[in-house]
Amino acid sequence: METTILDFLDRAAALWGGRVVYADNKNTMTFAQLDGFSRSAGAYLQKRGVRPGQPVLVMGERGINTPACYMGVLRAGCFYAPVDASMPAGRLSSILEVIGAKYMIASGEFLEKVSALGFDGEIFAAEDVLSECGPEDYDPRSAAGLPETVPLYVIFTSGSTGKPKGVITSHHSLMCYIDAVQSVLGLGEDDILGNQAPLDYIAAVRDIYLPLFTGAKTVIIPKEEFAMPDRLFGILNESRVTTLCWSTAGLEIAAKLGSFDYEKPSYLRRVIFSGSVISNKYLRIWQENLPGVRFINQYGPTEATASCTYYELTGMVEEDTHIPIGRAYPHYSITLLDKEGRIITADDPGETGEICVGGPALALGYYGDEDRTKASFIQNPQNHCYRELIYRTGDLGRYREDGLLEFCGRMDRQIKHLGHRIELDEIEIAARQVGGVNDCCALYDDKNSLLYLFYEGPASSREIALYFRGSLPAFMVPRRIKQLDSLPRLANGKTDMRSLRESM
Amino acid sequence: MDELMAVLEELRPDVDFETEKGLIKNGILDSFDIISLVSSLDEAFDIEIKPADLIPDNFNSAEAIWALVQRLMED
Repeated sequence: METTILDFLDRAAALWGGRVVYADNKNTMTFAQLDGFSRSAGAYLQKRGVRPGQPVLVMGERGINTPACYMGVLRAGCFYAPVDASMPAGRLSSILEVIGAKYMIASGEFLEKVSALGFDGEIFAAEDVLSECGPEDYDPRSAAGLPETVPLYVIFTSGSTGKPKGVITSHHSLMCYIDAVQSVLGLGEDDILGNQAPLDYIAAVRDIYLPLFTGAKTVIIPKEEFAMPDRLFGILNESRVTTLCWSTAGLEIAAKLGSFDYEKPSYLRRVIFSGSVISNKYLRIWQENLPGVRFINQYGPTEATASCTYYELTGMVEEDTHIPIGRAYPHYSITLLDKEGRIITADDPGETGEICVGGPALALGYYGDEDRTKASFIQNPQNHCYRELIYRTGDLGRYREDGLLEFCGRMDRQIKHLGHRIELDEIEIAARQVGGVNDCCALYDDKNSLLYLFYEGPASSREIALYFRGSLPAFMVPRRIKQLDSLPRLANGKTDMRSLRESM
Repeated sequence: MDELMAVLEELRPDVDFETEKGLIKNGILDSFDIISLVSSLDEAFDIEIKPADLIPDNFNSAEAIWALVQRLMED
């Protein structure tokens, strides 16, 4: 049995060496080349004194070199923490603070930006990392004998205290998830994935790793092609893309902008989506244009390695269809807990409880944050006999009569916007940093996918917007920033969110 | 044009629309910006921007967007 992703890389290079694993709009890379680059990069890191067991930040371009750098970090016996170069400096700094890494690999185009961050570790140019040493310089001892429970990557997500949370995923967890999603997708060597998710984002793990398990190829589509509808599906056809693992936002935007008015993606066989509840209106546009294509809904938090449940659509969605999140993937268990911590089974359909996830795909926790790890990864309260960790998602779910699960919203103030997880508290904490914001409240209009910030104080909405642009990722910046003489209050002095909602 | 600049300014106060000529080409406006922009323009100028109008040439600069808006206002 394989113990790390590197075993899959070795196997893929042996089986499919001459075939293409990754392509972008400029270059392609074969499995054998990926294997070679990973060894060259591993050798480079060894030469620079990078010891096994450490986090290495990777700020990669949207291209084939970035996954090669990830694999190089693994060859050095380390784990990678991908960061998005378009993040504002303030956000990047808080990520650097949490991870405390001593090394960073950055694509050439970002070196200037990185040097302005005040990162006090060593910075390597990705181009040097991949080319300075040869594969034969690599000493395999760095990654030999690692058990499958060592970290593979740390991916950051929004935290309600304003401090980003670094979710640590092990090799084993990722192998379980890829095995699970592959059991549903059934990809073969001739399949081609069209990548939409940013490579630093959890949703990209399918596009990066499914080829290593199946011999399929991933084509990385340039980001700017998603802003306009005219060429997007033409690109999918030129590359003969058969499979999309996209965020719901990606599917919705393509339908909304009218991509189907230009061309239909004629090679597609399956579309799997996740990130948030999909709008039936836009899913239907996809279904009507692509009869015979499989559509699969997925649900799950980053803490359970991408997705833990799935549901394959059986017919055309109607306006009032409530698409279930379905059933647990292989390797995963789902437990619904009611307010008293009792288990709700499928024999009690309609009863709502918190969705908790168990099994080997659970994350190792939050990097350097024992308190938040303990609060979210808990012993199954009904198991008094042996250790059984479950992750509390904070999501509410219920069973239908047929035993399938439905998602029924959040327990707290976390929202899903454009496929990204956002804590509304984090936006408010950022707004309070602006001089002249005395109090504020962030809310989400999910019907129109709009983030609002209501505030009181003399600051202008422009000042606040500019501050956000320098401190929060773009998807977290409210598009509507409204100044009020005073926020409406409840009798107990708390902000009256219901009355604010009515003014959205 | 002033009204257009106000719409753009509200959408992305961090972008210099006076000088930037590669709003799409250089990845400055993302897909969500375009969706917000299209609905704001439709509303502000009482026009209907159609998928066929959504090509990079119509959105790379403030002038290009203004030319599109004027053309649609005449229709």
